[in-house]
This record gives sequence, structure tokens and C-alpha cells, in this order.
Amino acid sequence: MTADRRTGGRGVATAVLAAVFLTTSPPDRLTAQDSQFGIRGLGTPGRWESVRSRSTGGAFAPFDPLSPLSEAGLADVPQLTATAMETASYRDAEVAGTTSALRATRFPLLNVAGRVHRRLAIAAGFTTYLDRTWDVTLRDSSVLRGTLERYTDEVTSDGSIADVRLAAASRLSRRIALGAGLHLLAGSTRETAERRFDDTSFHTVQQLAEVRYSGVGVSGSLLLGVAPGLSVTGWVRADSRLRATVADTTSADTDLPRMAGGGMLFSPSPSVRFGGAVAWRGWARAGAGAFDTWSWSAGAEIGAGHMPLRFGVRGGQLPFGPGPTAPTEFAAAAGTGRAFAQGRALLDVGVERLERRGGGLTERVWTALVGITVRP
Amino acid sequence: MMVRRATLIGGVLLAAACVERVSAPGQCPSFCPSGQIQIVDTVLTSIISRDSSFRGYVTALHAPQLLAADLPGFVDGRAIFRFNGYGQRYLLAAADTGTILGADSARLQLTLARRDTGAHNLSIAFYRLPITIDSATTFADLAGPFTDSLVRRVNIDTLLARPGRKDTITGDSAVVDTLNHVVVLQLKFDTAAARYVGTDSGTVAYGIRVSADSLASIAIPRASLVWHWYLRVDSAGTPVARTPGPLSAPSFASFVSDPPPPPPDSTLAVGGVPSARSILRIAFPHFIRDSSQIIRGTLTLVPVAPVQGAPSDSFVVEAHTVFTDVGAKSPIVVDATRTDTAVIRAGMSDTVQIEVTNLLQFWASDTTRATTLVLRAKEEATSFSQIRFYPSAAQAFRPALQITFVRRFPFGQP
Repeated sequence: MTADRRTGGRGVATAVLAAVFLTTSPPDRLTAQDSQFGIRGLGTPGRWESVRSRSTGGAFAPFDPLSPLSEAGLADVPQLTATAMETASYRDAEVAGTTSALRATRFPLLNVAGRVHRRLAIAAGFTTYLDRTWDVTLRDSSVLRGTLERYTDEVTSDGSIADVRLAAASRLSRRIALGAGLHLLAGSTRETAERRFDDTSFHTVQQLAEVRYSGVGVSGSLLLGVAPGLSVTGWVRADSRLRATVADTTSADTDLPRMAGGGMLFSPSPSVRFGGAVAWRGWARAGAGAFDTWSWSAGAEIGAGHMPLRFGVRGGQLPFGPGPTAPTEFAAAAGTGRAFAQGRALLDVGVERLERRGGGLTERVWTALVGITVRP
Repeated sequence: MMVRRATLIGGVLLAAACVERVSAPGQCPSFCPSGQIQIVDTVLTSIISRDSSFRGYVTALHAPQLLAADLPGFVDGRAIFRFNGYGQRYLLAAADTGTILGADSARLQLTLARRDTGAHNLSIAFYRLPITIDSATTFADLAGPFTDSLVRRVNIDTLLARPGRKDTITGDSAVVDTLNHVVVLQLKFDTAAARYVGTDSGTVAYGIRVSADSLASIAIPRASLVWHWYLRVDSAGTPVARTPGPLSAPSFASFVSDPPPPPPDSTLAVGGVPSARSILRIAFPHFIRDSSQIIRGTLTLVPVAPVQGAPSDSFVVEAHTVFTDVGAKSPIVVDATRTDTAVIRAGMSDTVQIEVTNLLQFWASDTTRATTLVLRAKEEATSFSQIRFYPSAAQAFRPALQITFVRRFPFGQP
């Protein structure tokens, strides 16, 4: 008994230590994996999935109480649970024969869920709605005062729009659970535009602005147990307009998408789970250059012991990109988890290989995923 | 067990360690932001008005350099200076003085801070002047002494060509400072040239004329003039030699010139002696000042006539702004970061362009500032040359301001 307590204490301490490492970066790094496809649009949509769900390609996300994709899964959260996630991505962006090696570290998820009543669970947290971190450099020239002047442009954006969610779910019966969520979209980006002329007679152009974003959204979901070991779920979400303000002046007001999705989870045995999910997002409302997207995922988790094996694939479209059709993406992921302290602390790790294509651009991304979950 | 867990945690954290590199070459327009940096270049001619020029800011008496020039058709300038002596008696010992009988010789040290390297047979001639010279002395007042009182003439080119730059016969020597581009002269004045007159308390005054085959123009820093007496003093009936310390600053130094500078007219004059400044009032457009970033501003001025003088008389025109505009006595803001310059070369008649970007940016950053420009020579009264520009009243050649600015970047737009 004493040995178990000591082991449990060490596990919790280890988990807390890791959580500190994962959450001591500045707030503006609380963003998701970015993409060159998001530069011309509103940004790169985040993936509302915990490490566990993402390691299955996102297939388990509609059922995962710690993934903010849907709320109905919350109904089955057993106790107060908190989770945080870190991703480190290494991205090669190849366009017109030029490859840029990019990398970024993000903290895209923090979620706390717990029961407040026998039939009611709530959750609060945030995830990335849109990532708007990028840095574009450009070498060009123009005729000024009758002379061809060469210059280097650098336009940057650093920040993101977070989805702050307050959700509640209730299990109405053994087979039916309902959930709903209120979403506050908030965030800011620090944007700069700089032009350096080769001819120093022209001073450097340096402009910067702090752009603030705001919006609201609502979501709802339903979880049905159709048979022993087989569940299906569906979710919908509607967001309002995303308002961008610079120095208290509205610079843009953009319609945000309606979304809907569903999934299926099949557990033939306690140690084997298969899942699949599909989602539609109406991003075309966001204006020119935006597309409605479909995405799908399929994955499995094998093993219910200390270190289950997770894997999955996903595919779909990206909402922003050049050309008449939406860029596409495909990813494969795998991961595992480790429980400490009698299951009160969980460390989930995963790795994802992603490829995006569209408009002559190909992005290949390796992403390392680390998640910490604590059940005090 | 703990080591294994720590290794696992460490490995995971290492894999996910903080990294950041998001800069990538842009492939526009497909993968660039929709907003672009928009640059506008415009020439504004009507925003400059109420311009005028004033003369007399720095006179010859207060100039840091003494000027001498012989540029036919332009100016004949002559430097004049006076050294006070030691009186009629000299302190030989603590309680013993002797009458100063006269001077065996004297030595004058001076520096040629500016001379035209294209001038050949450059000579400087010293004339004995009345010791009564002062700030009211004019060129005409000294016409007589400058005609009949020549005491020494030194050919600088010849002296510099001698071995060691020393003339063993006259006792003159020269040192060329290649770092500062100056020539330091040590010139010997013999008994006849350097007369110590006790009744005048040993005060001497000299004038300098310069001559050359062409381009005869020099500048002598006022502070470089040093006079060194070699005296004969009566010591109990016996003449003894005494060498008092050098007189390191003339009691009076100035220069005179002919013809005098023209009186101010409607043109915008800058430079000359006494120095002239021009003031231009600029109606800075609000749409540029308030909502744009200025990256280049160029003031364009058309000279009325070519600039006269030797090439070495070239000078730098500075454009300053003012603390407040009160006309000719407007206090200028002397700040290197808010001062723009242009070099005015003798003989030039081309349009002068002064980059005034710093000033325009200063005005844009502080809208309470008076948008007034003052043009002046960087070192006033150090050159006879001046430049005159057409004023705003001359429609065809009026000053103009070319401004290149950037509109506000459309931040926050998808």
C-alpha cells in the first residue's frame, strides 16, 4: 500500500513536471500547426483533438470527452480530468522547385472536464480555431522615380484565434447522451509589413499592427449506443462572423462556417476499438478563395493496458488555397499512452505524417504529439 | 523504474522541444497575404510658400576660419589679424625688468585648413597693417597698406617641394597632415618684418593676401594662429635675448572682401559671408502626414546662377526644421538625426536635391511642429561661395517636394 502510494506520487510528480514543461511558453504559442495554405485565407484551422484522438487519425475525436470536437462524449467522463497538449512540427513546403524547411512548436489544447451531477458533466477549455502564424519574404523590384529599385519584403503574422469552449453533456439513458457547447472566439495577431530597399535613399518601410479577433459559436451533439460495443454520434456547429479590429476599427467581418459531422465507434472487445469519423465544414462562406471541405478519418486503439497502440489515417480538404479547387491533405498517425499513478496521470505521445497538396504547393509535415492528462 | 520513466519523459520532451522557424520565401500571389505594400510617389509644387532669405547670421568677425581668396570676377578676400605684445618692458627676474629694445625676429604658425590642390604657385603675402584694425575695418580702409606694406611672401608650392619641407634660407617650414588634410606652416619674420614697437606695446597687425595661377583660395582656422617673439631686452645696459612664450590667440582676427555680398533679394540665398539662410514654409499634406509612412522626401531647388568660387570652396547645405517659426530668428533644431544635407560644388548650376526624409518623418511623428525648413551652410561663413535658388514666386522654377510614401497596410484582412 505504501509502495503503491509512493509510486503513485512519483507518477503524479512526473506528470506535473512534464505539464510544467509543456505550458511554460508564451501565450501566443497556444496555436496549432500552421500551413502556407492559410496565408491567403483566414488562417489554418486547428484540429480539435487530443493526442489520443489525433493518434488515431482523428477517428476517435467525436467520442473523446477531452477532444473539443463534440460534447456528447463528455457525458461519460468519469471524474475531474484535465489535459494539455503540445505539438512540434517539422514542415517542408515545396513550391516552384523551392523547398523551405519550417518548424514550429504549438500548444493547441487545454481542456478540463468533470461531473457536476450524476447526469451532468461540464467542460471548459480552449483550442485553436485558426492559426495565423506565418512569415513570408519576397524579393522583387519596382520602378520608383524612374529607376528600377530592388527590395525585399517581409510580411509576418504571429498569433492565432482561440476557441474558448464551455460545454455540458448529459446521459439521458444508457443509449443516449446529449451535449451542447458555447464557443467564444478570441485572439490576436501581431502583424508586420516591412520593405527594405537595396537603395538606402529609400528608408525601410516598417508597419505593424495588433489585430484582435472576436466571434461566437454554438454547437450540439448526440451520442447513441446502437448496440453493445457500437456507438454512433453526430454533431453540428454554427459560428457567427469573425470580426477583426485594428486599433478599435473593424478591418474585416468574415462569415464563419457551419459544420456538421459524425462518427462510429466499434469495440468488439474491451481492448480493441475501431473508429471512423467524417465532417463537413462550410468554409466557402468566408469569401473568395475559400472552399467547403470534407474530411474523414479511420483509426484503431488496441490494448487496454498500460501502453495501448493507436494508429489511424485521415484525409480531406483544406479550406483555403489558390485555384478553383480546394487543396487536399492526407495523414497517417500512430501513438501510444502510458498511465502513471494508478491511472491518475496519463502521458500520451504520437507522431503524424501529413501531406498537403494544392495550387502547386506540397507540404510534408512530421509532427510530434505530446499530451498530459491528470485526474486528481 | 524512476530512471526509465525519466528517460521516457525526457525523450518525449526532447522530441517536442520548442522550435520555431516560420519564415519562407513567398510565392505570390498564391501563397502571399492579400494585402500589399503600396508605395506612392508624388511631386508637390504648391505646398512650399512664404519663402524668403536673410543674411547676417555669422559674420567674418565670428567665422571660425579666416578666408583669403583672389578669384577674379568673384571675390578678393584678405585675412587680417592683430597680436598684442608684452608692453615696453620685460620681466627678466622676480624683481627685475628691462626695456624691450626690439625683436630679432618672430615666428608665425598657421594652418591651411583648406586650399585648392589645383592651384599652382600658391603664395601667401603678409602686409603690415595699422594696429587699429577692428570689426569696422573695411576692404577699402586697407587698400593702402595692402599696396605698399608687403613684409613677406611665401610660395607654398615651393616650400612643400623642398627637402624636408624646410627652407633653410628663410627659416620657413611646413608639415603636411595627411590625416586631416591640412598644412601647418612655421614662417619666420625677420627684424624688418616683425618690428617690436614699444610705444605700441609690441602690438602688431598683419594682413594676408593669397595668389596663384588660378583658384587662389585658402582658409586659416582662427585658433591656429600663433605668434612667437624673439626679443632683445636691455639688462643693466646689456642687450640680452629673451624668448617669451608664444601668443596663441590673436587679439583680433577677421577678413575683408570685395565686392561685398549682394543685399537679400527675392531669391533664396544660402552661404556666403556674412552667412545667409533661407526659410521655406511647407504646407505638409494631412493625408500623407497622418496616415502614411514617408520613406523618402526630396526637396528640389533650382539655382538662379552657377555657384562661384574655387572647387575647394564647395560647401554643404543643411536643411533644418525649427522649434518655432518666428521668421528670420527662428531657432533651428540642431539634431543630426533630423538634419538633411546636400553638397554644393563651386561651378554647379544643376538642380539641387536635398533629401529631407528625416525632417518629414519628424514632422509626421509630431504634428505640433512648425513645418518650416531652414536652409543654411553647414559651417557658416567658412566660404565666400553662396548659392541662390529660385523662390516659390518663380512659377517655372519654384522649389518642389517629392515625397515617396507608403499607405497603411491592410492589416487584419484575409
